[in-house]
Amino acid sequence: MGNTHKAAEGLFESDADVQEEENVTQKIQTETSDQDVHKKLMAELDGLIERVREATPGFEPPQFTPERLMERVKKELKHYTPDIQLGILKKLRGTINEDLLDIDTWKGIWYMLSYTAEYQTGFVKEQWRGENATDEWGMDWELRQVVRPFFEFLYGNYFRVEVTGIENIPDEGRGLIVGNHSGQLPWDGVMVAAAVEVEHPEERIVRTLFATWFPTLPFLSAFMVRLGGATATVENATRLLEQDELVAVYPEGYKGVSKLFRHRYQLARFGRGGFVKMALNAKASIIPVSVVGAEETYIAIHKSNTLAKLVGTPYFPISLRFPLFGLFGFIPLPTKWYIDFGEPIPMDGYGDDASNNLLLVTRLSDKVRGIVQQMINKRLGKRKSVFFSS
Amino acid sequence: MKKTILVTGVAGYWGARVAAQLVTEPEYHVIGLDTEPPTQTIKELDFVQADIRDPALLDLLKSEKVNTVCHLLFDEQIRVSERAFDLNVMGTMKLLGACAESEISQIVMKSSMMVYGARYANSSFLPESHPLKGSRRYGYIRHMTEIEEFCDGFDKEMPELGLTRLRFAGIVGPTAITPMTRFLRSQWAPILLGFDPIMQVIHENDVVAAIVHSIVNEISGVFNIACENTLSLFQMIRLAGKFPMPVLHPLAYRGASLLGGRKKQFIPLDLDYIRYPWVGALEKMQNELGFTPKYTAEEVLREFAHKRNQGNYHPAFKSLSDEDMDLNDVIEERQYMSTTA
Repeated sequence: MGNTHKAAEGLFESDADVQEEENVTQKIQTETSDQDVHKKLMAELDGLIERVREATPGFEPPQFTPERLMERVKKELKHYTPDIQLGILKKLRGTINEDLLDIDTWKGIWYMLSYTAEYQTGFVKEQWRGENATDEWGMDWELRQVVRPFFEFLYGNYFRVEVTGIENIPDEGRGLIVGNHSGQLPWDGVMVAAAVEVEHPEERIVRTLFATWFPTLPFLSAFMVRLGGATATVENATRLLEQDELVAVYPEGYKGVSKLFRHRYQLARFGRGGFVKMALNAKASIIPVSVVGAEETYIAIHKSNTLAKLVGTPYFPISLRFPLFGLFGFIPLPTKWYIDFGEPIPMDGYGDDASNNLLLVTRLSDKVRGIVQQMINKRLGKRKSVFFSS
Repeated sequence: MKKTILVTGVAGYWGARVAAQLVTEPEYHVIGLDTEPPTQTIKELDFVQADIRDPALLDLLKSEKVNTVCHLLFDEQIRVSERAFDLNVMGTMKLLGACAESEISQIVMKSSMMVYGARYANSSFLPESHPLKGSRRYGYIRHMTEIEEFCDGFDKEMPELGLTRLRFAGIVGPTAITPMTRFLRSQWAPILLGFDPIMQVIHENDVVAAIVHSIVNEISGVFNIACENTLSLFQMIRLAGKFPMPVLHPLAYRGASLLGGRKKQFIPLDLDYIRYPWVGALEKMQNELGFTPKYTAEEVLREFAHKRNQGNYHPAFKSLSDEDMDLNDVIEERQYMSTTA
């Protein structure tokens, strides 16, 4: 996989070693080298842009250069697996030195679409045969690739997440992300994972721990396991951290998620300090994270214990839109989100047996809770609007 | 001096296979114990026809100077019955009691990871020290859990007995009949809609190999034994060549309790075991036992599917050429035996 990936990237640069299969492009290539083709295309595009500018005086489009177009294509291509990238690029190369209005361009787009369709059917077939590759925890890389665009849409376009302190996430090795939990449905966990995957240079995978009662509900935990999650037990977290993974945990649990609107941004108890035990066992630094914006996605005014018992969930919120408006009530409000990663708190100076020292565990737990609360307060002080960027 | 090994349940599948493997080692004297003789004679097996619940078992252990007991006599039926309880739990207790009185250096027992119980709060990888909360609905699991609890206490009191409990994941293979193979052989393999726990399997040959490995190397303790990679239930069923049939879980539990009243069980596995994970941590197997399964999980299931498909197309009459081949094998075997003797 790694080699094809490199090869796919290499197609943009000089790539004398990549075997070309298309006969149509063979002729063009023998006449001019790839570099020349590239330059020629850039010049043509530049010319086109000039003509558009002349035709529409007074209209100032955002800076748009061929280089940026190429950047854009490269970025979009990242969503596909290396094999498809290579396929798309190979198909596109035949059309790249043609006029943009030429039929070949549309051919290229058609190829791109057919490749996507081919890939999707291949994905479904593989899943159905049970031949999809999973790791020992049950994580499915291909499924992650398939759902990534949806989460990126939520991240970039819907909640318009702003991130600071991404440099606090290590490039490699273990780390335990500890954050506040809010908003009735755990979108905040999803967005923290998306933030690290999108913003971090190493695109690290975050293994999110979910509440131990989650597996009693259908679909939810099965889906989360396939995206890389695991139940929030000290054993699971220690094992993941010892495999040098990046683990995220929300120690408030359902007490945090089920917070009523009038209690927003007031942290609940951080469980029983289990997250400190995880970090101490694996000697992993705790990276505090605060999520601001998630509290306003659902406006919960009441918790109904009777309905919760009836449905079999630990809590049942009555919000402004749920259950009054049915499924519509599940759609989060498009608030503006801020995710701030704090400085890592090292956990390696406490000795091997530290996780049995309950005094130390509770003290550290309170300390981390204080840090997260401070980070939230700081961000709330700066925030001017719930829905718009200030 | 030859080491004497007593294998219980040699008329059963596991006893016969382990005994057949052990007799090939020249330094062992293998005594097979069962209430009836094994269907296929095992050469050089010293067969003793007796019941393990017989109080005279102690005399046998003493007079034969048995060093190692390999206990494989379990009734693996899924119904809760008094007869099976008497054989499984009372039989094991009596056997362990007899072992405590005589000079045994190791007792090896085949157990199952099902004794941990499939619970929603389970960690993804359960260590051997995990509390035993096996299902009480299914006879074999219930008995095994009780035996294991009893063994825990027994092990603490008499560590010198070298009690070895090998807890196997779902055993799958072309010839063995286990809860997991019954599940995968049934007409339709049900899954609970929306639940897809990770699973572990182990090949039947690796089960025999692990038991022999612990006897040969004299390693005692409690060990989880499974293939090193995990699969989701869906993957497992598909790789075994079955079509998963999704069932709504409230209906399935309701149906199971309704059908449970009759003699037939709904499915050969407890529903919790296809809803929640019961996967074991294998570090102890790798590091302390030093055992590596030969098959990967995919290989186990592919072979199972392959053999099952072949079985569907067995002709009613064997062709004569096949018979010929069989006879040739016998002739070759006899010649080989006479030259080595």
